[in-house]
Amino acid sequence: MSIPARLNEVLNELPAIQARPAGARRVRVDVAPQGLPALLELLKGRLGFIHLSAISCVDWIEDGQFELVYHVWSHEMKLLVSCHVRIAREPGVYVSVHDIHEPAGFFERDIHEMFGVHFDGAPSMEKFILTSWEGPPPMRKDFNTRKHVEETFEWVDYRPDWLKDIERKGGGIES
Amino acid sequence: MSDIAPKYKGSMLRPLKALSFLFREPATLPMRPRPAAKVYRGFHLNDWEKCVGCATCQQICDNDAIRMVHIPALPSDPAKGIRPRRPAIDYGRCCWCALCVDICPTGSLSMSREYIHVSRDVDSYFILPDEEGMHGVRYPQGWAKDENADLLDLKRQEMPEEPPQERADNFSEICEGYDPQTAMLEASRCIQCGMCHDACPAHMHAPEYIRAIFEGDFEKSVAEIYRTNPFPQVCGRVCTHRCETACSIGKRGEPVAIRWLKRAAVDNVPQDRTIAIALKDKAKTKTGKRVAIAGAGPAGLTAAFDLAKLGHEVTVYEEKPRPGGMMRYGIPEYRLPYERIDADIAVIEAAGVKIRCNTKLGRDVTMAQLKGQADAVLLSTGLNKGRSTRIPGSDHPQVRAAVDLLARITLGEAFDIPASAVVIGGGNVAFDIARSLARLQRRAFGKVEVTVLALEERDKMLADEEEVIESAQEGVKLINGRGPKQVVIEGDALKGLETVKCLSIFDEQGRFHPRYDETDVMFHPAQMVIEAIGQMSDVSFLGEDLTEQLEWSRGRIRIDEAGRTSVPWLWAAGDLVKGPDVISAIATGHAAAASIHAALMGETEAREAK
Amino acid sequence: MTTPQVPDPATLAPSEEYDLYFGPNHPGIEGNYSVRVRLKGDVICQAVADGGYLHRGFEKIMEDRLWVQNIALVPRICVPDPVPMEESYARAVEMIGGLEVPLRAQWIRVLMLELSRICAHLFTFGGNAATIGLYTNMFWGVTMRDLFLDIFEEITGARIYHIYITPGGVRRDLPEGVLERIEALLVELEERMPQFEDLFFNNAVVIDRATGTGRMSAEEALAWGVTGPNLRATGVASDVRRDDPYLVYPQVDFDIVTETGGDALARMMVRKGEVVQAVKIVRQAIAALRKVGGPVRCELPNPLAWDLPAGDAYARTESSKGELGFYIVSNGGPRPYRVHVRGASSMHAVQVLEKLLVGSRIEDVAQIMFSLDACPPEVDR
Repeated sequence: MSIPARLNEVLNELPAIQARPAGARRVRVDVAPQGLPALLELLKGRLGFIHLSAISCVDWIEDGQFELVYHVWSHEMKLLVSCHVRIAREPGVYVSVHDIHEPAGFFERDIHEMFGVHFDGAPSMEKFILTSWEGPPPMRKDFNTRKHVEETFEWVDYRPDWLKDIERKGGGIES
Repeated sequence: MSDIAPKYKGSMLRPLKALSFLFREPATLPMRPRPAAKVYRGFHLNDWEKCVGCATCQQICDNDAIRMVHIPALPSDPAKGIRPRRPAIDYGRCCWCALCVDICPTGSLSMSREYIHVSRDVDSYFILPDEEGMHGVRYPQGWAKDENADLLDLKRQEMPEEPPQERADNFSEICEGYDPQTAMLEASRCIQCGMCHDACPAHMHAPEYIRAIFEGDFEKSVAEIYRTNPFPQVCGRVCTHRCETACSIGKRGEPVAIRWLKRAAVDNVPQDRTIAIALKDKAKTKTGKRVAIAGAGPAGLTAAFDLAKLGHEVTVYEEKPRPGGMMRYGIPEYRLPYERIDADIAVIEAAGVKIRCNTKLGRDVTMAQLKGQADAVLLSTGLNKGRSTRIPGSDHPQVRAAVDLLARITLGEAFDIPASAVVIGGGNVAFDIARSLARLQRRAFGKVEVTVLALEERDKMLADEEEVIESAQEGVKLINGRGPKQVVIEGDALKGLETVKCLSIFDEQGRFHPRYDETDVMFHPAQMVIEAIGQMSDVSFLGEDLTEQLEWSRGRIRIDEAGRTSVPWLWAAGDLVKGPDVISAIATGHAAAASIHAALMGETEAREAK
Repeated sequence: MTTPQVPDPATLAPSEEYDLYFGPNHPGIEGNYSVRVRLKGDVICQAVADGGYLHRGFEKIMEDRLWVQNIALVPRICVPDPVPMEESYARAVEMIGGLEVPLRAQWIRVLMLELSRICAHLFTFGGNAATIGLYTNMFWGVTMRDLFLDIFEEITGARIYHIYITPGGVRRDLPEGVLERIEALLVELEERMPQFEDLFFNNAVVIDRATGTGRMSAEEALAWGVTGPNLRATGVASDVRRDDPYLVYPQVDFDIVTETGGDALARMMVRKGEVVQAVKIVRQAIAALRKVGGPVRCELPNPLAWDLPAGDAYARTESSKGELGFYIVSNGGPRPYRVHVRGASSMHAVQVLEKLLVGSRIEDVAQIMFSLDACPPEVDR
């Protein structure tokens, strides 16, 4: 496994980029936040990375960062390049790449809703899934699902006969 | 809509095609119950005979759908790893993934081939599954464990050992111990059910220290071990490991090697770190109270360690030249190297415990003196005398007690090594002396002639299985089902031992009462007969007055649960009160120390100190 | 949820346009999903997709569960086509952990994936027909699918939520005789295909309603991120199984089915062709499974004490609906640090749907959505 020469050539044109192979037909590229749009443009224009498969967001709360991963596929090279950028968790603002890859609109809107990252220039930052949700962006690591559930819902207190019988004899559900 | 293109209109007769369907078998299913597939994940079934209440199903359940229900009527046996509780399933939460079935250590859980439960009664969705099925109708078993579905690792990591040819003539340690990688792999087999904790006399935090090893944090593991046991080096090698008997993984597979993991933890932490970890919670201030302890075995030293950490001034008196008791003078070095005992004792001494060796009670120091010097006295002198069979001829000088010989070997005291010997007994002590003697014989004569004569049949042996196997590798013979009849003496010379066949060992009440077939006599020629049928205590040092004052129960000093005797300043612990084994001694040592501390500090202060 | 403000109609200026809510309970909408359309007469001038009715927070919940426990969750992300979900999750975990899936398990997975594709296409085929009033097709499609569900039940112990594929392989080996029963079922399916053809593809109503409906060009489809059968219906021969192959797909002989119409009809034609190809692949898998023995799962540690090495992986799968992606991050712990599911319908259930609806007629909303095979639960996750 190595990085194809054509890809290396293109990557070398950009500053502050680290690339390494990450398995069969996978290349991982780490890039500074300001360099990502140029990278995506270049990959798209020169090597046919026209398909934005997904944008993933990871909340590295202990580092105070969000990691955004742009998975782009080239039908031509048969290669998936995952471009990783790290942005500050606060204020959590980044630029939209909607103008380069139209599908970005969907993923950016989703990440905004789930992580609270705002994408400047995105076509829509409106809610899509959590229309009635007033709380914090739930995919953030500091949102505790279990706590939310405990506070919101109640456990069913089953009282079947067999349990009553066991309780009469001194047994019961263990905590 | 535009007109239909002619090519799609087709022939006028085309609709008649539909008539052909009149004669086809319908694809709909008949209106009768259809049997579910053979691996269908229907409702839970649980074989209560197999289930031990380990709650692993509850741990793997991703929906919190399983609750353990305590059922007092069920049998409970911590030593065997059986808890009186069974899982109940909440079908409001269950997602029928059957991971509980796949992980169940005993294989008691499975799922039925039943499809439907419909009810308006919410309570009917919470069930306590048994073999009868959810509705009391025995549907056949569906999803059950098979070798692929099993999520547990049933094979333990192998312990590297010295091969028989390399160990048969020396006393260097046989087991080499796990390296950190192997230890982590072994630790990963644990399911954290805690059966080991319940079964251990000292209630060691085995799940916690195993977990720490899995995480690669050996120091944390040592800290967890020191919560309950100041002899990890010793117990990591020679403990009777009741934890492993109770281990849930052992129900179908090989139990987690808990003893070896304990050893791996201390083996992989440097001594100075171990001392720092062990003394982390040592009291900063002294209490000014003094405690005297008689006997530097595991019980006495455990109590000494606890009390010293609490700020008391502790002195231990020991008859032998080195501390350790039976650990040093009873267990051969190939099982437990002396420097390992020294390592554990160094930690105890680092806590401030003073140990006075070569000080025999009744000879060098009296009980009255101890009482005068200390605020409390703990007796932990152990079982230092071998029991005799009292068969004819057993008073011959070449009839020896196993414990006595083992002590001589440790002390380096010479005795005439017999070219041939028989050992009466089938426990670990019998094998300890047999294997020690075999080594000495191989060195002296180049060959081994030691025979162990056990009362029990091969499958009911009291000794650990590895003792039986390894001794055979080293040339020790074993004859099962033989009871001693008499020692054969010609003139002054011992010629050997006569045995008879043992028919049964216990009577109907389960008491020790062997029956023999006196016609089936066997002669075993030997130069020495060694008795290894048990030990007893020699408490003559107590003196008449104290013996009089103390309350006795069937030859043992009467004590309360914490080890306090009827004499207010005197406690007892170790083999004197329970066992004999190291971990029970440690457990009684802890109990006595806690009781002594409470008594010395007064109830209120003791509570504050906690 | 903010309650829509309903103004008094009397106060409004006269308008030719009006809003109509399609769903979430509209019988023509697949699953619980909603599209708000602005109409002028019966022609749509704007469409806004509205999801979230099936949001169960899978990605978040998975962060709280052990690597093995998550296999119980993943099939639920897309009910009509659950196997690719299980497979993608397992494969991403395997990529991070460097696990080697035994050959037999790889073939079993291929078998399961293609059976699932057949089921999903039959379901969509039936549903799509129903949106233009052809209910017989729906009954036939669903009936046929049910016979495949019997096979799933036999192999996995469940009809829909199989929970069968696990990191490292599959949970158990195939039951005796199931390969023969699958073969018999494939024959039955092939016998029915001409009838489906008669009833649907040769049907003047279908041709008239579906031709040109929801059409997109290859350029548009590529720019919009369309994948799967919808992309292939525009003439682009793109298939993850071929381009970014996984399991034993490089050894499998199959054709990539393409059409050029780019409309609802072309999309259904592609699916029909893919059922034929899937049958072909299943037969190859059956032949392979008769020869390849061995374990069906690699050795795994105790699931309660299984820390996957730190790392990340993006597994792509060709599901019946397009490219499915699982991006998983491990921080070296017993649970995933992050799981991101790129639902295969992410594009064509939202942005693409909104575009295609504009200019079409109200009667075609359901048909367009079905012909795109939009699966709302995998968008909502």
